[in-house]
Amino acid sequence: MRLAHLWDQSRCVACGACIAACNAANYRSSTGENKTWGWLRSNIKRITVERGIRPMLLLVQCQHCDNAPCVTVCPTGASYKDADGLVKIKPELCIGCKYCMVACPYEARWLDKETGLPMKCMGEECVSRVKAGLRPVCVEVCPAGARAFGDIDDPMSEISRRLARSRYVRLLEEKGTSPKYFVVVGP
Amino acid sequence: MTAFQHIWDPWLIGPFLWLAGISGMTAVAYVLLKWSGVEEKRRELSWVTFISLALALVFVVADLSRPWNMPSAIMSAVFGGTFGWTRSWMAVGIVLLLVMLVLALLVALRHTGAGALRPLVDARWYDALLLLMGVAVTIYSGFLIAAAPGVPFWNTALIPVLWIISASVCATAVVKLLVHSEAVSKVATRYSLALDAAELLAVFALINLALYGGSRAARASAEALAYGELAAPFWIGVVALGILAPLFIGLYLAKRENKYLATTAAVLALIGALLLRVLVLQAGVFEMPI
Repeated sequence: MRLAHLWDQSRCVACGACIAACNAANYRSSTGENKTWGWLRSNIKRITVERGIRPMLLLVQCQHCDNAPCVTVCPTGASYKDADGLVKIKPELCIGCKYCMVACPYEARWLDKETGLPMKCMGEECVSRVKAGLRPVCVEVCPAGARAFGDIDDPMSEISRRLARSRYVRLLEEKGTSPKYFVVVGP
Repeated sequence: MTAFQHIWDPWLIGPFLWLAGISGMTAVAYVLLKWSGVEEKRRELSWVTFISLALALVFVVADLSRPWNMPSAIMSAVFGGTFGWTRSWMAVGIVLLLVMLVLALLVALRHTGAGALRPLVDARWYDALLLLMGVAVTIYSGFLIAAAPGVPFWNTALIPVLWIISASVCATAVVKLLVHSEAVSKVATRYSLALDAAELLAVFALINLALYGGSRAARASAEALAYGELAAPFWIGVVALGILAPLFIGLYLAKRENKYLATTAAVLALIGALLLRVLVLQAGVFEMPI
């Protein structure tokens, strides 16, 4: 089993519902700061390019890489890849060295100053939702159907079917991380 | 404005890397002096090795966001089989630093009245182990940041090479500051000259490869150092005062030894090496995923 995220750039209306829902579900709508990203306490960050060839929006979060550098560099095994293919954190093993944060090419982790823990997708609430067979909140709330989540090893899963009929890219693939966050760029 | 990394504090991790390098290479210098039959200031040198390492640990622990969890997390990881013995440079470093701390402490105590330690510390195998561990700790301080693929400017084989050269410069500077023997000073001056030249070349290579390499983030880091926000401390602090000044003073000293000039060169080289690490850390930039 390899659980993965899909975000359809061509369908996204940039409403920010996924970002807000992540904050609400995983951080109890906290208005506290996420100093690492200069952003709110959410595991999804928005990157906009306004002066490129064309304006572009990108939502970036943990890519749950098959070859995750954060897992490799972690001295204690606090960052690990679970049997379901998701990269998770065991807080009891984390010493707060932040090596995982500098190792991640996507800068997908941010530091919770209160607990000293690196935070990332998925948050606690989403992990328990997935365990219960539900979809992560960002997928659930998306009004445009721009997100999907599921097992890419199962050809009948929604994510596999959407990937089969779409053009997609994976971010910074040249880093050798084998990311499992698929950015659909068109049909 | 360049978006530099704010994850590792350059003024905590920079001094950590610098002190770890000083400790590692002064241990090497200690062994080489011992093998050359130089007795002068070996006790002081052994304490420099130990205190640098102890201070290095203080700096690295100060940057941890969960330091209180460290002992139990490490013990759980070791006994639970998840400790990254061969996987993570941070884990390798934890082991190397702790072993080195014990080795350096025993050497320092041996020179400070603990005569019972002589049969152990004076053994040839102990020297060889200390030398190997010194090199290993220094190399580790380079690989620690070079093995972080998130920051392309650090993610290069040049960093460990530059770090070992720069740490050797520091160790030679410490020897020059401590030892008064003219013969040793002359040898140290010759070593310093070669090492300063090598450091200059390595710094040039690091900046140049990043400026003309394929990574936009590494280029942004190199640009910040070469002619951006960090250019002034880089050119004045690292290159001019930290490398070129000791190099030119060394050229003069090669003809005529002068204690005051030698001290100036050594202090400048030490400060330059610290600044080099701080600036390289500060210049870290993440790649844009677009």
